[in-house]
Amino acid sequence: MAEHITFSRRGAFAGLALPGRFGQAEGPAGLTVAVRTTVAIAQVVARPGRTDEVSSAVAAAMGLTLPAPLRVSAAGPVVAAWTGPGRWLVMQDEAGSGPYPAGSFVGRVAEACRGAASVTDQTDAQGVLRLSGPRTRDVLAKGLALDLHPRAFRAGMAASTLCGMVEVTLWQTDDTPTYDVAVMRGYAGSFWHWLGESAAEYGLVVAPQDDARAGAG
Amino acid sequence: MRIPCPHCGERGHEEFLYLGDAGVRRPDGMAEAKAGEPASRPWMDYVYLRPNPAGVHRELWQHVHGCRAWLVVTRDTRTHAISGAEDARTVALARDGAPA
Amino acid sequence: MTTPQRPLPASHRLSAGGLIDRSARVAFRFDGIAYEGHPGDTLASALVANGVRLVGRSFKYHRPRGLLAAGPEEPNGLVELRDGARREPNTRATAVELFDGLTATSQNRWPSLRLDLLGINQIAAPLLGAGFYYKTFMWPAAFWEKLYEPLIRRAAGLGRAPIGPDPDRYETATAHCDVLVVGSGPAGLMAALTAGRTGARVILAEDDFVLGGRLLADDLEIEGRPARDWAGAMQAKLEAMPEVRILRRTTVFGVFDHGSYGAVERVADHVGQPGPHQPRQRAWQIVAKRSVLCAGALERPIVFGDNDRPNVMLAGAARSYVNRFAARPGDRAVVATTGEDGGRTALALQRAGINVIAIADARAEVSRSLQVIADHAGTRLLAGSVPLRAHGHGCVQAVDLGRPDGSGRQTFDCDLVVMSNGWVPTVHLTSHLGGKPAWDAMAGAFLPGTLPPGMAVAGAAAGRLSLDECLTSGAFAGLEAATAAGFDGTAVEVPRATREDQDRVALVPTPKPVGGGKAFIDFQNDVTSADIAIAHREAFRSVEHLKRYTTLGMATDQGKTSNLNGLALMAALSGKTPGEAGTTTFRPPYTPVAIGALAGVHTGKAFKPTRLTPAHGWAREQGAVFVEVGPWLRAGWFPKAGEDWLAACNREVAAVRAGVGICDVSTLGKIDVQGPDAALFLDRIYANTVSTLPVGKVRYGLMLREDGFVFDDGTVARLGPEHFLVTTTTANAAAVLGHMEHALQWTWPTLDVTVVSATEQWAQFAVAGPRSRQLVARLADPGQDVSNEALPFMGAMPLSLLGGVPGRLFRISFSGELAYELGVPSSWGDALARALMGAGRDLGVVAYGLEAMNVMRVEKGHPAGGELNGQTTAADLGMGRLVSPKKDCVGRVMATRPALVDPQRPALVGFRAVDAKDTVTAGAHFIDVDAPATTANDLGHVTSVAYSQGEGRWIGLGLMKDGPRRHGQRVRAWDGVRGRDVLVELCPPCFVDPAGDRMRG
Repeated sequence: MAEHITFSRRGAFAGLALPGRFGQAEGPAGLTVAVRTTVAIAQVVARPGRTDEVSSAVAAAMGLTLPAPLRVSAAGPVVAAWTGPGRWLVMQDEAGSGPYPAGSFVGRVAEACRGAASVTDQTDAQGVLRLSGPRTRDVLAKGLALDLHPRAFRAGMAASTLCGMVEVTLWQTDDTPTYDVAVMRGYAGSFWHWLGESAAEYGLVVAPQDDARAGAG
Repeated sequence: MRIPCPHCGERGHEEFLYLGDAGVRRPDGMAEAKAGEPASRPWMDYVYLRPNPAGVHRELWQHVHGCRAWLVVTRDTRTHAISGAEDARTVALARDGAPA
Repeated sequence: MTTPQRPLPASHRLSAGGLIDRSARVAFRFDGIAYEGHPGDTLASALVANGVRLVGRSFKYHRPRGLLAAGPEEPNGLVELRDGARREPNTRATAVELFDGLTATSQNRWPSLRLDLLGINQIAAPLLGAGFYYKTFMWPAAFWEKLYEPLIRRAAGLGRAPIGPDPDRYETATAHCDVLVVGSGPAGLMAALTAGRTGARVILAEDDFVLGGRLLADDLEIEGRPARDWAGAMQAKLEAMPEVRILRRTTVFGVFDHGSYGAVERVADHVGQPGPHQPRQRAWQIVAKRSVLCAGALERPIVFGDNDRPNVMLAGAARSYVNRFAARPGDRAVVATTGEDGGRTALALQRAGINVIAIADARAEVSRSLQVIADHAGTRLLAGSVPLRAHGHGCVQAVDLGRPDGSGRQTFDCDLVVMSNGWVPTVHLTSHLGGKPAWDAMAGAFLPGTLPPGMAVAGAAAGRLSLDECLTSGAFAGLEAATAAGFDGTAVEVPRATREDQDRVALVPTPKPVGGGKAFIDFQNDVTSADIAIAHREAFRSVEHLKRYTTLGMATDQGKTSNLNGLALMAALSGKTPGEAGTTTFRPPYTPVAIGALAGVHTGKAFKPTRLTPAHGWAREQGAVFVEVGPWLRAGWFPKAGEDWLAACNREVAAVRAGVGICDVSTLGKIDVQGPDAALFLDRIYANTVSTLPVGKVRYGLMLREDGFVFDDGTVARLGPEHFLVTTTTANAAAVLGHMEHALQWTWPTLDVTVVSATEQWAQFAVAGPRSRQLVARLADPGQDVSNEALPFMGAMPLSLLGGVPGRLFRISFSGELAYELGVPSSWGDALARALMGAGRDLGVVAYGLEAMNVMRVEKGHPAGGELNGQTTAADLGMGRLVSPKKDCVGRVMATRPALVDPQRPALVGFRAVDAKDTVTAGAHFIDVDAPATTANDLGHVTSVAYSQGEGRWIGLGLMKDGPRRHGQRVRAWDGVRGRDVLVELCPPCFVDPAGDRMRG
């Protein structure tokens, strides 16, 4: 029998995102990073020609309007980001809902889309960071070729692109501005290195994790 | 280079992967060979023969680090001027006479 | 040689005026001697202020050189800046903002600047003319490496590159704007203002550390006040506009496709060391809807005998030194001019207390305005006169003036000659996308021709030289650019400015300087008028050939001060106009850009992103040695104390074959395929049939390219009637996904299938060895059956483990042993590794790496990287029968081409070393025992090798002509590169359990 060891879930940024202040120590930090460890992620890919059907099915079952291209939408705790034609990441933060967050939510999305879209669990394939602070745009400009000027990109918009040479999906959650960035898990270390280097000039605060599974970073 | 993805808007070329000429058409894989020539004959053009125009070229790119859509990009090989970018599947359905 | 001393007071600093801060002192050293300057100085201006006139030796002839210019076009004042790992060779002293503690060293002199023994090159000068390298070092070829090259490097090198790694940080960044304005002279400031007022997003990039361009150097008035004050007020206005961004110390070095511009910002080059966390430089990609090029113009030198003597200087540069930097380049000056600029220069010099001895004006008629200035300054104006020859060694001591034909020659003692031969618009950026500058006879210069899309040119860069024209053209160009970018704006008020008369003629160099001496055209590359004449005589008429043959306008200089003189001479020799002769292509970068700036933070191990598996940290704790596989780091082997890689690998293999081992295979590509047409689609993608696979089963899948060769292989698991999970090799994961998407979106767009990468979602471990089932069973949650009956060989099932983690279990074997692959969501990958090792301790479980995995697959004859090399067919690999002829699939038809089914093709074969002491290497060629090792006798090559403990010797796989028919025979494995020649015995490509009983057990 297996020994009595407690095994723990390790998020993409476990061991990387240690709370504290880094880089420039003077003045207000230019960037604050919080790791979102408890986001369940379902990748929805509409089967060819059935995008509208998927949208109605998700609306009916979950009360969520799937977003138009380059947009995010939300309904209660569920957020959906467009990632390509007929493709969305449908997400729910399941903080405090048990040891394994993804199963039931992704299953619910799959059930809603049955026959019209393929749904795959990508909860563990991405690490999600929340970026905020006065120099957030300046930091992102060092790795992201996207125009984040308020005239070009606002709260409620999303993009799948490269950041620090790594594939990401990014969406803006408010106009302060705050961005969520979902990073391919295998590249989390490289992305973190890029982020730390790029934010060092302005000072970087890594927020402590508020979730009970703080070690799961 | 900046490529105007029909789904995502203009993005830098680093997000895209180039394949090549969008004019070639895959032969029917199960067609009988014509009498007197090997079955591979119509495939040689499809696999190997490519025009190399000094001018307008329709070519396949994939927005691989973006929306993952394959695109048909119309580019002038002399100036790199891009006059259009279409969703490849939509083009392919029209090509095959199938409803979108 | 360093001489400790207190710096002397700057001998040539004016007591008032200039844009320097006299309240602060900046200490610096040049060639070991301590000097002082002030904030606002460049290294060049501080040297001028300290009376330093000799700054370097020339590239080829080692002639003493002084400053020719005051800006980025400087060809002579190239120094090594800083020390040690921060040493930066070939730095233009005119572009270095002075900072406290700066050290600079002159280049290209040995042993010292004043005494340069290689100056003897001058005596050998006739040997060093145009085409010198091509002619001299042709023969004998063997002399090149040992004699010629070291000699040339010592004699003609420029600065030394630093040896140590660069200690500074660099960054890259992207900026977007509606209007990019390049240059902040009068045109640029107006363009930024008018564009900014429309609300457009504007970036104003200025190379210098102060905005204003020539307004800083010249004594001009705008709106009734000094132009430099006006520039300051403009800067304040622009800074107050929220959508205008000013990038100072930023050079726009290149124009790229579709509105992309490359720029480098020298964030911390003006301090000794960057502050903590501060980058030294930042390379910008600027994406602009429109751009306005206001890069100004460069002054054209006069080509005359020994015009390279130190303190023969461009007139605009001299005005810049006195007006902007309050530094007096000399005490007794001769002004040589071809137009009205000479008057402005004489006035500026005289105001700075420089005694202007004479003004030579090339125009035949006496200019009334110049005469007024000459009278006022008490100096002689010689109309119709040109400089004929400079005299002096360390510094110019006199100059001969006279008529262009050499008559009327008079010598004037002086320590400064300033020359003004008109202005050459800085059109470099207009031609980066292939646009050809156009000759304008009226302007006597090449003006911008076809412009890059979205670019407009204003001010002196467009040939509009006078201040009022600069302001007007800049104002309109800025407004037009903003309008074109979608913004509204109307009225433009152009400020009133000093009127400047631009009347002038142009002096074209003669093949042979009338006054004698060497007449330099390209100072940086030591190209003289005689060199151009030689090239012409030897029929190098095309400007591009002229450039390569003479080195005119090459290297970092890019012809900034030399191009027009060189081309004009060549055109004159050919009896053409410069427009007919054409100009060479200007290429990016406009000025040198450090590679470090372009790399940004992506250096060393961060050069490319690295991909790590979920259990990477666990493997590191186990002492894994990692190897790179594409972007991934994979554990190669797990050495215990005292083990080398082979010992570790042997131990790992032995443990798996006798007990159980685990190996992280998370890097294999995983693609989730769903939809009603999924089975049909996979039949087309794979050469073998997939559609007959039952749910809950796994099958090997072989993928061809459309040309019929093998592309990739992996496994296909059917999770449901319309749901498959396929795996790819690590190396091809991205390519296979793209290939499938191409097939679905382009080739067969009506197939009802989706494909999604699941690679990152799943951590997967191979659990292999006779005790693997026991180990897997221990991790399974209660009530789950992993027996041979419940999960036979090539079966797949969901498995709940570790107390509710939803996993997937596949009974597949790469090692030939009873084996599984166990997948869990990636967040549990680390836990899975620890759980397997913990639960299997009493079973003797080991962690094994890529090397052990490779040994075991070679022993089983499974093809991998060496065999899937893009040149093999299914039949070559012994899998010809897998290819189903009954269905369409990628590559099916082309695989039937005669050359691909030729029985003579090299095919997969196994071999073992005959002598157990011999090592065989991959890449060795198979040669018959009695045949010489020649290409004609080449039978094929070794693709993979492994040390097999079962065989007690090295074994391997190879591709060999007739290989499958020669089992039991002996051939040589000949490796000419490593000097090995080993006898091997051919055998079937399987060394362990050929019947496959173990993996089925």
